[in-house]
Amino acid sequence: MKRLVLGVIVLLTAHSSFSQKTGRVNYVDATIGVGSYEGTLSLAYLHNWNLGTKRKLSIGLGGRFTSYVGQNQYYSTAPAKLTSGSKGPLVIFKNDIDANIDTLLVKSPQVNSLNLFINIDYAVSPKLLVGFNIDAIGFSFGGRKQANYINGSSGKITEGSPTAFNVLLVSDNDLGSLNSEMYARYFLNEKWGIKAGFQFLFTEYKTTTKVQTSPEENDRFRNKSLLFCLGLTYKLHNNQ
Amino acid sequence: MKNLFILCLALAMITCTADNVTPTAPVNSTFDTSKAISLKKGTLVGIGHTASGEVNIYSDNGKYVIVLDPYSSQSGPDLKVYLSKDINASEYINAGKLQSTTGKQSYTVPGTPDISEYHFVHIWCEQFTVVFGRAELK
Repeated sequence: MKRLVLGVIVLLTAHSSFSQKTGRVNYVDATIGVGSYEGTLSLAYLHNWNLGTKRKLSIGLGGRFTSYVGQNQYYSTAPAKLTSGSKGPLVIFKNDIDANIDTLLVKSPQVNSLNLFINIDYAVSPKLLVGFNIDAIGFSFGGRKQANYINGSSGKITEGSPTAFNVLLVSDNDLGSLNSEMYARYFLNEKWGIKAGFQFLFTEYKTTTKVQTSPEENDRFRNKSLLFCLGLTYKLHNNQ
Repeated sequence: MKNLFILCLALAMITCTADNVTPTAPVNSTFDTSKAISLKKGTLVGIGHTASGEVNIYSDNGKYVIVLDPYSSQSGPDLKVYLSKDINASEYINAGKLQSTTGKQSYTVPGTPDISEYHFVHIWCEQFTVVFGRAELK
């Protein structure tokens, strides 16, 4: 959370300090992602600042709505304390503790999330950008869904709903549903562009009861999806 | 835009294939019911699918064994035999993957549960969370 606030402050400071030296570009884009028995539709607004004298590098902030649908998707125990045995920032370097990780099979997951996201891209040529973006903070909503909690040879038929609050932290410390994209964007003309790449999406369900009881109680389960994505971009404003 | 839609549809079709389908070749378990003690039994009824047969739970050398004999059902993906406390399988034990859609088959129940608390056997499609058949045990 501290890193997120710091990141936002740095971006805003950069914007005010260098507003005369930087250009601004605003985009809206619509993206669909397709994976195995799952897919997404994302709508995003992005405000980008072009940096440097050549203005090839850009950083930006935006808002993104992602709607995820799937069929029979396997979710795994989410909290870092269980998956890695600790909650600190070094959790990213720790191996998963398989014995602590149980499965929640969600019959028809559907998660909608609205998040603030951070973008960075680089202009390879005047028409071609390559970039990366990631959701940072927001909220999710969606209906209650039937799910099968599986713990070895035993289990429970239960129900779950999307975790309401989303925040990007470190590795399995993340909370909620967060989207990210690695993409290439090609501008067909002054206004329109197409985008292709990959989405890496976390969605998270919270069961109605703490179905996992060992090594401690847990009701949060996460699915990590890798999706091929295609999108359409419209440039709203360009002040370079 | 049309081409984009066709590409996505094609990708979705490539990825949407069922796997783990239950074999249809008849099986004939060698489990000797005459040497075991019958504890509970029930009749299997199809739930939105074709499934029929008799279900018995036996005690055999300290283990519990579910025997389906006779048994017949339609095939499906990822079919499992669940033993549960209630009709909704809100708490269940997975006794294993369904061996075949026809013939006598036996499943050793993992662990040593209190079998008096378990009243239902389900033929359950785990991948799609669909019940194919159910027997109430008495």
